[in-house]
Amino acid sequence: MSTSTVSAAATPTRHPFERRVEENKPSKTDINTVIMDYLIKEGYPDSARKFAMEANIKQKPDDESIRTRVEIKHAIQSGNIQSAIEKINELNPEILDLDSTLHFALLRLQLIELIRDCSSDASPENVSQAITFATQQLSPRASTSKAFLEDLQQTMALLVYPGDTLTPQMSELLKPSLRGEVADRVNQAILRRQGQSVEAKIKEWVRARAWAEKEARASHKDVPANLKLVLDGDDEDEESDDGMNGNGDAMIT
Amino acid sequence: MGNGGFDRSQEPHFFIPSYLKGTRHAERLLKAHKSRLRSRTTESAKSATSTGGTNSLSTSSSSINLHQKMVPSHRGMTHDIIEKAPTPIYEDAVAQLPSCWNRNDKWAGLEIEGGGLEVIYRGASKTHVDEAAAVRSDRPMPRECGIYYFEITIMSKGKENKPSLVSIGFSGPKVILSRLPGWEPNSWAYHGDDGNTFNCTASGRPYGHKYNTSDVIGCGVNFRTGEAFFTRNGHYLGTAFTDIKAVDLYPSVGMKKPNEHLRVNFGQSPFCFEIDSLVEAERRETMDLISSMPVTGLCPPLNETQLIHQLIAQYLAHDGYIDTARAFAEEVRQENKNLTYNIPGSDSEASKDLEPEEDVDAIQRQKIRASILDGDIDRALKLINIYYPTVLSANEPIYFKLRCRKFIEMIRHCAELSDSPSPITSKNNTSSDSYNGVFSHQMELDESNGFEDGMDTSDDLSNSAIGGVGIGLDGNQTFGNSSSNGNSEGNGFLGYGDLMNKTLEYGRELKDEFDGDGRGSSISVRKTLEDTLALIAYSDPREGPLRALLDVEGRIPIAEELNGAILVSLGKSSSSSLERLFAQTDVLLSECGADGSAGALINLRSI
Repeated sequence: MSTSTVSAAATPTRHPFERRVEENKPSKTDINTVIMDYLIKEGYPDSARKFAMEANIKQKPDDESIRTRVEIKHAIQSGNIQSAIEKINELNPEILDLDSTLHFALLRLQLIELIRDCSSDASPENVSQAITFATQQLSPRASTSKAFLEDLQQTMALLVYPGDTLTPQMSELLKPSLRGEVADRVNQAILRRQGQSVEAKIKEWVRARAWAEKEARASHKDVPANLKLVLDGDDEDEESDDGMNGNGDAMIT
Repeated sequence: MGNGGFDRSQEPHFFIPSYLKGTRHAERLLKAHKSRLRSRTTESAKSATSTGGTNSLSTSSSSINLHQKMVPSHRGMTHDIIEKAPTPIYEDAVAQLPSCWNRNDKWAGLEIEGGGLEVIYRGASKTHVDEAAAVRSDRPMPRECGIYYFEITIMSKGKENKPSLVSIGFSGPKVILSRLPGWEPNSWAYHGDDGNTFNCTASGRPYGHKYNTSDVIGCGVNFRTGEAFFTRNGHYLGTAFTDIKAVDLYPSVGMKKPNEHLRVNFGQSPFCFEIDSLVEAERRETMDLISSMPVTGLCPPLNETQLIHQLIAQYLAHDGYIDTARAFAEEVRQENKNLTYNIPGSDSEASKDLEPEEDVDAIQRQKIRASILDGDIDRALKLINIYYPTVLSANEPIYFKLRCRKFIEMIRHCAELSDSPSPITSKNNTSSDSYNGVFSHQMELDESNGFEDGMDTSDDLSNSAIGGVGIGLDGNQTFGNSSSNGNSEGNGFLGYGDLMNKTLEYGRELKDEFDGDGRGSSISVRKTLEDTLALIAYSDPREGPLRALLDVEGRIPIAEELNGAILVSLGKSSSSSLERLFAQTDVLLSECGADGSAGALINLRSI
């Protein structure tokens, strides 16, 4: 759209690569589209609504279709797997019926949540609840696949080992990132089932950035040694609280 | 771009083959083409000016005037003034596609017809086994395409009832043309008489069918893999050559018998073979590599989700989307809270919460943007002069665009008024009713009277003679010396005639300001001015040839350009990290794709 740049003249000492970067700015429409796409696909309904207003985007987000996905996402992220499974089946039972791997991942996460309850309160009820769940829900499925079986065995070991003797691989299972990962997979499965493209465009942009740099360096292209991504201030640790207030003038020429 | 793989609306020779549509190279070609057209118009405009006896000074002397007049601003201004100068350099940098056979690069006896696409052998029959006549295309196949493909139709294989002695392939620029392509070093081809392929040597290898009259033979080169393939009547025949490393390879055909007649399709017409799917499959292969690329190295210690959250939050703050930034920070915070729920000691594992920027600049910038997006240019100018008084004088082109936009908005308004039987205007002329809700304090700055000159006014904002009147209209009404017109002071509703007068008056003012003082001699400024002012000539400009100017979408680039200029004036980067990421990736992909390797087919804009 707007191809004109508002930047001041480039200083001659700059790497030609930087000059080309200046000339290759995307249009705001491209950027706004990609942001809207992320907010909708990844389920940030408030932000999407506000953004449609502030950026004057004609296509308003469809609240209804986001809401269910957001509810499911939140349920998984906060460890409420039972409720998530019910909501998914309410939406479309085929999502889990036709994807046994995803279903198993959810059930195993549910088991992990039950085991987590045991570690805070190792009462016999809690432990037996976890074991019952494992034998009823996961064992029958584990017999169908070697990968499932390994996953189940590793998970059950959590019950036996005390917290401080876990292998790194096992302690990964207890981290919040597993919840996030399963939530992402479910979200994608729902999008796929709704016939939408699954990956948010901005993810592909970020990955393409990493990939293209790797390729360019591998073929010895003339690329600056250090391609900075975040340009607000040199101290990246301050980046989040500093936003645009950083000493951006270092970057302005 | 058109449907049939090429665009008829452009000049006759410009086309984009269907399989290249949406690729970065196609974008480059299109951009170069447009720039070529533009520089052509500019040149004719230039000559018209110099011969037309107008009183304009030569460009150089007028720009000196300009400097004298505009000295207070920085060097940035001169840069901006010449920013729209024609850039013919650009097209040279873009590797153009082959478009026809080269009349100056053929062997005797070959004749070129059919708009440069057909070649016929009219010479004597080449009886000696080594002799032939070949021709090359006007340009080499650009490696930047990633994959290049063309098709040859055998119109006639000559009179003799013998296998066609035609060779279809490609060769380097120096390969001798008295031999069939494929026989010589640096040439590769598929021969019709025996169905063999020839890989820089006179001895062929069995490959496919012989070919005959009315067969369509396709030839494709994949620059990433260094492989070439052929197709026959829409069927893929498999890899013919590997390890092709040469640069500057030209499509080439050779023949030996009188009246052998071939026609080439470089993509001007739809292809017989489904080349689009093949290219798409190739693109997907690379996309799969990209999709599985870890990004943790980009900005450690951030993982992918954290990085994306930071990029989005920074963009929202940078561009002044304050409400969205707040909502996003809150939703991410909630998400982090969920993720660590019931997981003791895991706070450090979760994403950092986002801290939305709450600075006054962001709010001010958003107000200005809101005004422009609403079409209320007066309000925007006023706000700019209050908050960022130096920005407009340092960015003359933006000031000019805003002033023109105001005229456009007035025209819009006139056109809308003429529609409605009663002169009562809606509160908000067209778009974005929702917009006013964004800031409850939007109207706290009441419009004032007597806004005379966007450059140097510092109006008394407490003057609220027209409180609460619709946006846009009151601006129109108060522009200029409303007292001298003496009409409807304090009244928000103007009749069509009044408004039209106002518009005309403003148009004159606009012309005087920008056309009369040397600035107008910049070709692009004059052109814009002429186009803009010409709107008044149409009884309903929304239907006229200039209707694109009236599009409300046109407000967006001005708003964004201004926002960038304000950021620069504040010592901040004019672009956000996300925009930089995009631009960096685009350039990196160009670097990778320049020699046809992976990346040539990846276009971020169409991911």
